[in-house]
Order: sequence, then C-alpha cells, then structure tokens
Amino acid sequence: MEPVENLGRERILERIRAALREPAPRHAGVPGKAIFAPVEDPLDRFQKECTANVTECTVTPDLRASGRAIAGALAELPPGGIFVQDTPELRRLSVDWQYDRNIQWSSEGAPQESAQATITTAEALVALTGSVLVSAACGGRGASVVAPVHIVLATSEQLVPDLEAAFTYIRQRELPLKNSYLCLITGSSRTADIEKILVMGAHGPRRLIVVLSMKPS
Amino acid sequence: MSTASREFLRNAAEKSADLVHRGIIRKGIDQYNAAAGRGRERFSDWEAARQRCHEIKWEAVNNLDRYLLEFERRVKERGGHVFWAENSEEARRYVADLATSRGVKKIVKSKSMVSEEIHLAPALEKLGIKVVETDLGEYIVQLRNETPYHIVTPAMHLTRSDIAALFKEKLGDVDTDDPPELVAAARRALRRDFFSAEMGISGANFLVADAGMIALTTNEGNGRLSTSLPRIHLVLAGIEKVIPRLQDLATIWPVLATSGTGQPITCYNTLIGGPRGPNEIDGPEEFHVVLLDNGRSELLADVSEREVLHCVRCGACINACPVFRTVGGHTYGTTYMGPIGSVLTPHLRGIKEFNHLSYASSLCGACTDVCPVKIELHHHLLHNRRDAVNASARPWMERLTFLMWGWAVKNPRRYALAGRMARTGMRVLQALKLDGTVLDPARAWTKNHAAPPAPQKSFRELWGKQNGAG
Repeated sequence: MEPVENLGRERILERIRAALREPAPRHAGVPGKAIFAPVEDPLDRFQKECTANVTECTVTPDLRASGRAIAGALAELPPGGIFVQDTPELRRLSVDWQYDRNIQWSSEGAPQESAQATITTAEALVALTGSVLVSAACGGRGASVVAPVHIVLATSEQLVPDLEAAFTYIRQRELPLKNSYLCLITGSSRTADIEKILVMGAHGPRRLIVVLSMKPS
Repeated sequence: MSTASREFLRNAAEKSADLVHRGIIRKGIDQYNAAAGRGRERFSDWEAARQRCHEIKWEAVNNLDRYLLEFERRVKERGGHVFWAENSEEARRYVADLATSRGVKKIVKSKSMVSEEIHLAPALEKLGIKVVETDLGEYIVQLRNETPYHIVTPAMHLTRSDIAALFKEKLGDVDTDDPPELVAAARRALRRDFFSAEMGISGANFLVADAGMIALTTNEGNGRLSTSLPRIHLVLAGIEKVIPRLQDLATIWPVLATSGTGQPITCYNTLIGGPRGPNEIDGPEEFHVVLLDNGRSELLADVSEREVLHCVRCGACINACPVFRTVGGHTYGTTYMGPIGSVLTPHLRGIKEFNHLSYASSLCGACTDVCPVKIELHHHLLHNRRDAVNASARPWMERLTFLMWGWAVKNPRRYALAGRMARTGMRVLQALKLDGTVLDPARAWTKNHAAPPAPQKSFRELWGKQNGAG
C-alpha cells in the first residue's frame, strides 16, 4: 500500500506528551489480595464450567477413544462435508469417520460456508472459565467459527488452571509472534439482544464440543 | 439554553411519562442486576479486581505515548498499518479513501462505538458503499434507522413483537415473534453479507502494547466473522484503549464481562495483530488500525478529569443510573449515554452545548460504586458543572438566582428574611391554590409534585426555642 501522509501523528503525540507533564492522582488499594480463589482440581473445574457455559465436554481415556467419540458426534449431524485441521493425529483418527463424510483438510484452504462441522486442536484449555484457547495455527481463523458445530480435540495435559497461567503459556510459547490471531472461546455463540433472552447460536457455532483425552496418545 | 439541552428536556419529559418504556427498561436492568450480582460473587475479592483494573488503566493512560508507540511498532512489524486521526473528519476520510481505492462495495461491521462517534456509516453510504451492522442489536437499530439505545445492548428498548414486526417488514421471509427464530432469521440474512463483503470494520476493546494486538470481545461471533472473512480488516479505536501487557487481560476480561453482562467471561475474546501471516490458511490481506484522538488528548491534559479515559465501556454505570432508567438512552442525544456519556460528551463535543448532561444526575453515586475501573463518575459530573459555570455556559436566570442566594446566605439577617418571605409566599400560593401554576417560582418542581404544607417556623426559630434562646 502506498504510504499515507499522517501529519496528525506527531501532533497527537506532542499533545499527549504535553498533557502528561503533570502527573494524575491514583486511587489507593489494599495490596496483595487474591482476585480469584485458586483452582484446586483443574479437570473437575473445567467440566463444571463447561456445563455452566454450555460446552459439551467428553472425557476419554486415550486418543483412540477420542476418535470414536468424534465419530459419534459426527453421526448425529445432518449430511454434508466437514473441515478438519491437518495434523498427524487428526489424519490418523479420521479413519473412523472418513467413509461417512467428505473431509476438507486445512492444508487445502479455508473452510467452506457449507461445512457441517469443523474439527481442530487447541493451544490450551482454561479450567477457571471452561475456555478453549485457539490460534491461527489451529486450522486458521475461520475454523472455529464458521460451522454450526466446532469439535475440539484436546488432551488433559493442555489444561491450565486459570487465565494468569494461560497468558504465561501464551508468552512462553511466543504465540503472538507466531500467530496473527488468537481466540479464547468460552461456550458457543449466543446473544441476549432481544429482551435479554438468551439465544444460542447467533453467528458462530451453536454447539462447541470438547473431546478431552486423559492421555496424550 | 442550548438546542441539545432543550431537546433533552422535551424528550426526557416525554419518555419518563411513558410507563410501557419504563417497564421494558426496568425488566432488562433487573435481569442484568441479577446476573452481574452473581458474577461478582465468582471473584474472591471484587474490590481487589477493580483496584487491579484501575492500576492497569492508570499505568496505560499516564504513559500513553510510550504504549501507543509500542503497539504501533509491533503492528507494523507484522505488516499492519496504523493511522493517527486527530478528529472525526480525518478518521472518516482515511476509511473512505481506503474503501474506494480498494473497490469496496460492501462492509460488514461489528460493534464499534467510535464508528458511531465519528458518524462513519452515513459517510460511507454517501459514497455508495453498503455498510451492514452485524451485532444483532446494532442490526436491529440500523434497520430502524436509529442510533444504539445503550452501548452494550443497543436494542434494549424494543420488545420481541417490535422486532418481529421490523423483520417481517424488512426481511420479508420471517413471521414470528419467537426470539430463537428471529435470531436465526438475522443469522441467515447476515451470512450472505459476511461471505460477500470485501471489508470488515471492528472496534477494539483494548490495544495490547506488548503484543501489538487488538483485543475484541463479542458473544455472537459476528466480530470474529467480520475480522476473518473479508479481504481487508480495519480497526477503529480511541487512543485511550491501550493497555500495557497481554497478562493484564487475565483480570480485565472477566471484570469486563461481569460488568457488561454478568457473564464470567464473554464467549469470544479475540486477539488480532495483523493480516494473515505467511503460514496461515486464512484471514485478511490487509490490516489497518485507526487511532482516534477527537478531544481525548485535551481530556488527558486535565489532570482532575484524566481518569475518565480509563473507561472500558462496559455500560455498568448506565445500568446503575436512575436517570437513565427513567429518561432512556435516546434522550441523551449522544453516542455515549448515561453517567459516562454525561461526563465525556461535554469534552468531546463542547461544554456550551452539552453541559446540561452534567445536571442530569441526582449525584447519588451509584455509577461510581459500580465502575470496574473506579472512575469517580459523580465527582466528574460536579467538575463539569463547575467548568460550565466558569465558562458562563449556564442560563442567566440560574446565574441570577445563585447570585441572590449567595448574597443572602452571607448574612444571618438577610438569610432569615429570605426564609420568611419564601414561607409566606408558599403559604399564600397554597391558600390560593396557585402552587404549580405559572405564578409559582418553584413550578419546575411543583407542577408534578405535591409540595408539603409550608412550615410555620424556620429551623433557626425551632432550634432557638428548644435550646433556650441561643
């Protein structure tokens, strides 16, 4: 893009600097108080929060069982293709459902509007809020939002207790450097814009399914 | 009296007498209050959370140049563009030039109060560009040619039957007042727009300096679709939206959700730092951020008012305000309504025209109590009143009254005489049944309220009698 002349930039910065020469007062608080109670049992808390925020969480003993659980979830859906993040695990697990569904892999491009479901991995799961952290690397930006159903393949190792831990993870893995996009997903899409009545499935997925394996393989 | 002030009084009188309207708003706010109360209990110490948010925003606003430059540098490193707009006109022109030079015909928008502030959509429509609001509440008010009633729940003033009638008229294929079916109809209509628009516009709840990413909070998913599918993503944000670190969101996200809707955390908290990366499978080719000043740097220069820039636009003060609940969101005639709007608007749009909003408050302090970043809103309303008086922006009758009152109160004899005259006058008016008529100097109050009987004796007389002639 041709550079746009931005004379306002220096003027705004100059006004800000001049304004800040005089310091502003701040409110005193009592230091050292915990904002959230520590999460004792992350798996138990994650499941409880999922129930509260309407995420369907299925815990399985291992990845093979997760593959079967995904096959079960897919069997209930209307006919049509699905979009799957292209990873070695999902390629391996897809043997359980590839004959029933036309699969579009993320390596083939962005998901179609017509996809009945998308299946992706996650970066982490947050117990405190029952949330799923995804990045652009989890099948792209559209993978977790365009279809009516989003299925997440995760393992118990990915559970972090709270948001502080999630951001520590994000920083340590340098996710903002590696991705143009991150999203903390908590439950399925909803709106309460009509008379404050909660309706699920506004523009994003109506269902969010987390298949959580207790073993990483 | 300014035009805006006259309109405010007329609309406030009309709306506060509309009991159906008050019922709708009361129901919505009762539901919010119940949810927000439950939400605050999820924190082990809500006050500690408010204090933390205050400290984060204090640090950001009091080092604004440094954090904005850090944000800008990181966005540019990822291939994004940052434009600094001094006022609404510059911001509108940047967006319009970008859209026309890229051949944009249709824009999908997720909620952005800044876009309302700079009146962006009408300017783009004039150029023949279709602008579609995609937040359901915004979509509804756009179809009605209205402005948002409330910054978080734009269609708060409408019942499901209002929306059913609107959809039947505008969308054609819908004939239901069932909320899930109405939502499904909007979803169907907007899907076509998401997949055909060339440009998406969003606001930003925060600009995260150490990551060079914008943080966007939505429940519906419209914000994610608007920023993922079109070829160009443009962000509109006030310069005060910056926060120092990603880690700060660990506190701010749950606090914002609790104050905004009572949720533990909003469904989608998205971080976007640029266009589609080299190894990414989707996302826009271009990423632009417009940083808007529009009076904010002047507010920054006012040390006693600076913390108004800490606002995270959660809407909690609006919901808590008894004046808002009575007069309604549209009566304010401003982009930002309720206590925060009354504090902010005179700074953004002029103290002469908008100082009356500082008087649209009982100074009860409910707004200050609920503010998640601890802005002392009702104190700022008083500051604005002071500034309005100093700027000679108040009506001459009010100034004369206060001049006379000031003269009387400085001398005990004058004060006693004035009190006696007022009591006598009140008794005469009440005896002649003229209270509340045009002959009554207190008509503004007494035309709608029954005054108590005028006292026989003054407070000082009663005090003197009970405590021995003192």
